[in-house]
Amino acid sequence: MSAAAGGPHGRALHGLRRSDAPAFGGKSTGLGELLSAQIPVPPGFALSTTAFAAFMRASDLDHVADEALAPVLTGDVEATREASREIAAAMSSAPLPGDVRDELAARYDELAASAGVQSPPVAVRSSAVGEDSEDATFAGQQETRLWVRGVEDVCAAVRDCWTSLFSPTAISYRARLGERSRPAMGAIIQLMVDAAVSGVMFTCNPVSGDPSMVAINASWGLGLAVVGGEVTPDDYLVSKVTGEIVREQLGGKHVQYVPSVDGHGAELVEVPVPRRELACLDAEMLAALIDLGRRVERHFGSHQDIEWAIARAGVPPENVFVVQSRPVTTVPRRVKPTEPPPSALALVMGTFGAAQTRTEEER
Amino acid sequence: MSTTDPALGAFPSPYSVPTPAGCEGWEEGYPYYAVFDERRRETDENRFWFWNSMHFPVPMPAFDVICIDSPYQAVGSWQNRVFAVPPAMGIDYRIVNGYVYISGNPVTDPEKIAERAGFFQARAGHYYEHWTELYGKWRAKMDALIAELGELQVPHLPEYEPDEVALADDRNTAFYEVLDAYGRCLRLLDLMWQHHFEFLLLGYGAYATFVELCKSHLPDIPDQHIAQMVAGIDVLLFKPDAELRRLARLAIETGVDGAFAEGRTPQEIDTELARSEAGRSWLAELEEVKDPWFNMATGDGLYHYYRSWLDDPSIPYAALIGHIGALRAGQKIDRPTEEIVRERERLAEGYGALLDEATRGPWNDLLALSRTVFPYVEEHKFFCDYWFLTRWWNKVREFGALLAVHGFIEDGEDIFQLSRHEVAVALDELVLTWATGGRPLGPHHWPGIVARRRELLERLAAWTPPPALGIAPEAVTDPMTIMLWGVTTERVQDWARHRDGGNELNGAAASPGVVEGVARVVRSVTEIADVRDGEILVCGSTSPAWAPIFSKITATVTDVGGVMSHAAIVCREYGLPAVVGTGRATSEIRTGQTIRVDGSGGVVTLLDSGR
Repeated sequence: MSAAAGGPHGRALHGLRRSDAPAFGGKSTGLGELLSAQIPVPPGFALSTTAFAAFMRASDLDHVADEALAPVLTGDVEATREASREIAAAMSSAPLPGDVRDELAARYDELAASAGVQSPPVAVRSSAVGEDSEDATFAGQQETRLWVRGVEDVCAAVRDCWTSLFSPTAISYRARLGERSRPAMGAIIQLMVDAAVSGVMFTCNPVSGDPSMVAINASWGLGLAVVGGEVTPDDYLVSKVTGEIVREQLGGKHVQYVPSVDGHGAELVEVPVPRRELACLDAEMLAALIDLGRRVERHFGSHQDIEWAIARAGVPPENVFVVQSRPVTTVPRRVKPTEPPPSALALVMGTFGAAQTRTEEER
Repeated sequence: MSTTDPALGAFPSPYSVPTPAGCEGWEEGYPYYAVFDERRRETDENRFWFWNSMHFPVPMPAFDVICIDSPYQAVGSWQNRVFAVPPAMGIDYRIVNGYVYISGNPVTDPEKIAERAGFFQARAGHYYEHWTELYGKWRAKMDALIAELGELQVPHLPEYEPDEVALADDRNTAFYEVLDAYGRCLRLLDLMWQHHFEFLLLGYGAYATFVELCKSHLPDIPDQHIAQMVAGIDVLLFKPDAELRRLARLAIETGVDGAFAEGRTPQEIDTELARSEAGRSWLAELEEVKDPWFNMATGDGLYHYYRSWLDDPSIPYAALIGHIGALRAGQKIDRPTEEIVRERERLAEGYGALLDEATRGPWNDLLALSRTVFPYVEEHKFFCDYWFLTRWWNKVREFGALLAVHGFIEDGEDIFQLSRHEVAVALDELVLTWATGGRPLGPHHWPGIVARRRELLERLAAWTPPPALGIAPEAVTDPMTIMLWGVTTERVQDWARHRDGGNELNGAAASPGVVEGVARVVRSVTEIADVRDGEILVCGSTSPAWAPIFSKITATVTDVGGVMSHAAIVCREYGLPAVVGTGRATSEIRTGQTIRVDGSGGVVTLLDSGR
């Protein structure tokens, strides 16, 4: 397919902006924003909530969900789980509506053509909508399928993402918020980075809140192991001002996610013992990551929690990619004093225990 | 003295410290008020005392006690009576087995603190506002003081007074002049210490405030970045070494560098140089450099042991050997001034940009203030601790020579085994018997005392003082203790935790990097010449005067020192990892032992047990 793939449900990632968040979800538009700032993000496309809505409507799944959820009382764990099972079963046997499937296939083919690979492996992720989409990610409404190949598998992965909206955690979460309207969700389909190393980076020290530091966790293979806390990663604290490594602690890194042997999906394997103790980042990689972190922070104007991956092929900085970025919401308060500091001299007086308690006139 | 009392808090009671064998009666050489006395036990036992190993790493000779009294009189006067630092008066000291322990006197009454704050704000404010002008005046005062010391004559005691006394009536008799000169000599030292502390507290305070502001907003900022942002560019203390580098280059250019062979004494080098025309002109150039740049001390100056480079050229010659070797190996040895300037501005801009608007203003002002005060913080050492003090000790030596000539002591150096009051008494008897023609008792009285005290000092030197005595404080709040000695709550807790030893020492991460190597423990300046290429320097505290040998070593570990220590800055400039303030490095580490210095994490690990 040579002409740009079109359709009402999807959009190329680079075409998305913050204002598209209500339709595509924060994660999708975040990637669009990154691309607009020339941050290297693996190419791909996003599906809007209309695709999800069409799917739910076509197989009458809305009613299935409504009816399954109606008798569930908030806090009833067993009933919630039962309703979740029922909805998931219905969703997994329902086909994607024809127009959704066709558009998805066309966009996937286009992605394949641009990558020059047949049935390229992609990552399929959910993209939650709503003001609380940040919290929603912690409420289990986040599904990621890695190393997905071929249209059929992509369709199934998208459906899995949608289904995660009705996970027991997600149901309870919405119930706790008193959310009565029907939920909605977007999805992202992105070329896979064949990652040699990947991890997470904060553009501040998430523990101390120091804005002059970049904190990096890195491990072998795909990012899942670090994000999921399945390994003790290499841990770096690097000065944003000088690039100096302020702290370096190598982790055990005993397992890693790699593409499955059959080419479909990712699997967890042991890291060979000698490799576990090796640092997985070198100076060039660190420098490229720090630079990326600074650019992402500058673009969003706030501290960011960035998932990144370094491809096996290529050299830094060309092979370093951002796969996701979201604002850091948990910076310790002490670096944001409620009162601005007084003058320099008043601070010096404070050092000597002579904080100005009386004004000049009173003296 | 009771020795059965259990330890109070986390540290031994000052009243339970055993006297080393053969050192009974060590108190006799020290003032009555300088020891832990039973009559003060109730208060003294319930205070926190720490060994001031930064200034007093070895047992005190009796005369050198003047360099405890005088500076503590001066620092207390400025801190407590002039500036009235609200929560802290002065510093008390006590001597235990020859070693100096100190403890601050806090002000706890809130009303008193508020009253003092009024004085402090007005008086300290005046200094900060007029700093540069006042510092200019200070320099003039110090110049005058050093000049007066140079002019102070220690008269001989002639058989007959000269004609001026008899016929011109414009000169006093020698008995009066000797006593007058001695009194004036002591007063000049007091004046120096008075000048020394006029700006020091305020200078450190401004800098400490900047450090604090940095750390509250940038909790992970490395100490050395803060120091780099503040450190001076045209630092007077770097001049002596800069001159040595120039002389090293000159030696190579004029082909006389062959004289500087490792292991040769300065005298051997000079002899070799004097043989050739080029060597002689190099020596002439060296003479030019000596005034004033060889007025560096070989240590931090509080003991008579620390001579100046003029008296003992082993440090500058060791440095010359090192610099020449480095130049021959093709290394750049010049202090990269431009790079330092660029780095300092890059850091200031980089960190400033990360602060919020409301903080940036005060932060920039504080940085500017810190830079204003910093020249004093660094330069006072050269004028006071090095130039004045080394010359002052030499002046005392002249009195020693006078006493020795008349047989009161065997050698001029013996004067340092007597207290300043005992010297006054000895001089009294000397001029009395000189005047009367009577037979002095001094020659039978003093030499025995000198001999016993020399023996005591030797024995006491083998004793290892604990880092702290008395009650462990819940928190160290005294701003002076924290600023001047780097003794923080964490440090004290660490001392308490490590009373039982272990193979790790913790300190402040003063200069980044990790190095493994062979330790060279240097307890006194006489051992400086033993330092060999590639060794790790382990010492009580490094002095800026030692900077030249930094080109030979690979890392530094000290017992005492904080983020402001000049040594930390020097280490960073030389790219040497440094851990300072370990509390016990010189007592736990032995020369020859392999150690790892982690200057980024502030940890020293003993890797083997040594020989």
